[in-house]
Amino acid sequence: MRLFINRLVKHKYFIYIILLGLSFFYLFPIYAMVNTSLKDTPELAYGPIQLAKGFNLSAYGEAFQRIKQPYVNSAIMAVSATVLSSFIGAMSGYVLSRYRFRGSSIVFFLIIIGFYVAPQSILIPLVRFMGMLGIYNTYFALILTHTAYGIPITTLLFKNYFDPIPTALVESAQIDGCSVIGVFTKIMLPLALPGFAVVGIFQFTNIWNDYLYGLTLTQGVASQPVTVAVANLKGTTVAAWNVHMAGAFMSSIPVLVIYLFFLRLIIKGLLMGSVKE
Amino acid sequence: MRRWKRSAQLVMFLLPAIIIVAVFVYVFLGWSLWLSLTDWKGLGGTGEFVGLKNYIKMFTNDRIFIKSLKNTLVLSGIFIGVTIPLGLFNAILLDMGLRGRRLFRLIYLMPLSFSFVVSATMWLWMYAPESGAINTLLRMIGLGSLAQPWITASSQSIPSLAIIYIWQFSGFATLVYYAGIARVPQQLIEAALVDGASTFRKYISIIIPLQRPATITTVVLLLMYSLRVFDLVWLTTGGGPGYSSQILSTYMWRVTFNRNQFAYGAAIGIFMFLLSMVILIPFLTLVRRGEEA
Repeated sequence: MRLFINRLVKHKYFIYIILLGLSFFYLFPIYAMVNTSLKDTPELAYGPIQLAKGFNLSAYGEAFQRIKQPYVNSAIMAVSATVLSSFIGAMSGYVLSRYRFRGSSIVFFLIIIGFYVAPQSILIPLVRFMGMLGIYNTYFALILTHTAYGIPITTLLFKNYFDPIPTALVESAQIDGCSVIGVFTKIMLPLALPGFAVVGIFQFTNIWNDYLYGLTLTQGVASQPVTVAVANLKGTTVAAWNVHMAGAFMSSIPVLVIYLFFLRLIIKGLLMGSVKE
Repeated sequence: MRRWKRSAQLVMFLLPAIIIVAVFVYVFLGWSLWLSLTDWKGLGGTGEFVGLKNYIKMFTNDRIFIKSLKNTLVLSGIFIGVTIPLGLFNAILLDMGLRGRRLFRLIYLMPLSFSFVVSATMWLWMYAPESGAINTLLRMIGLGSLAQPWITASSQSIPSLAIIYIWQFSGFATLVYYAGIARVPQQLIEAALVDGASTFRKYISIIIPLQRPATITTVVLLLMYSLRVFDLVWLTTGGGPGYSSQILSTYMWRVTFNRNQFAYGAAIGIFMFLLSMVILIPFLTLVRRGEEA
């Protein structure tokens, strides 16, 4: 067995075969989605595998009509909540990373626990609370919700980001008479800009892809996010797989673009949130 | 005086996070807990205090709840039991230094970019028994006899769902292990190679044993997701056929928003909180211990 494995790994093509086989597993569902989205209704009869005859965008037109307002809602929601949760997390992560005071590790711990609380455990009060604020069924409810539940992870990410920055920098600024705000805005924020890129992308992808809060807090296309609208494409017409797939693919484009062009930042965010560097 | 000013500024920086988390996490958890001790049934009126009645019902008089709990644990078990070795395997392959490994890493991470709504859409189309992509492919290559009913059969719904989870998250596990392998000190590997260790030995005796921290952190995150995932199951099987793939998150939603049993839904939510803390806290302390070491 051992010798067998040692002999096999010497042949590069053997490893390539495994890598390609696994790639097939990861890519095949994506192929089925994109391929189906490019077909018109009669062409659907040929099944999901046979390559679409051409770029038939009729399914996209139909799907777009139904998801365009939710698309805008998602953009507003994801951008606002990303900015808000990143800023609040930068402030708290900065203080928790740089200053030691009585109870600081308990405060940190209590904030981080929020990341591990399942949405189902707080869902009913959340709905009631939004009702009390009078913003139930608006995207403000979603902005507030995603900001709030983003803070634990943005705090963690920024604390991990600030931790390795040498204290000497902060101390010399303090000696020069800089206040907490002064140190933060003059030294930390400029240093934190790459951190904002990492945390912002991490947050944006998570918020854009959320479904549960959108399903629970909004009704109707005026306020619902694109994920909910895409899920609703399924039930409306019988077996309109092409429209459903077109909507699904369109809803994925912002995050796919981020993965393709900012993979380095995505990877950094995923690792910072999981492995302590 | 300056000290006081400094503390005031520190508080100002921390306060937004503390207030928001206090309300949205701790007040809401307490509120949920309180609701779960009543018989509140929805928007009109308030419920009567009934003590632990909802919790007693969960365990003595609700077979669907027990089934959901079992399904959640089985699904998490299959998911993590496959994703961890697969991620490690992928990472080792990528570590062999072949050309194109960055492209493969991107391909393996790709599924993670999709929302669960989109994955559910794709996999409904993959699993459809008659016209679905998998069965069509099997028939095309002459293996039609292997076609399965997938999510439409009670006996296959949970493993079929686990495959979707694995598809979506194994790239993440790959990434964490790939970074973990890159952190193994080069001298260790070189020393072993000088001693004549084979490729197999290099991984089994040196690299894999050093992946404990990566394994713990990955397991924590995968567990967290698998205990809370809702969309993926809700939009593919909806918990069916029958109750064969009902999990805690989907059952909580059904009870609360379809049947208006708000208090009972809150009790399931609180149970999910307790369950995730009981499962996650031992792992989280392992992570902390790893940091100190």
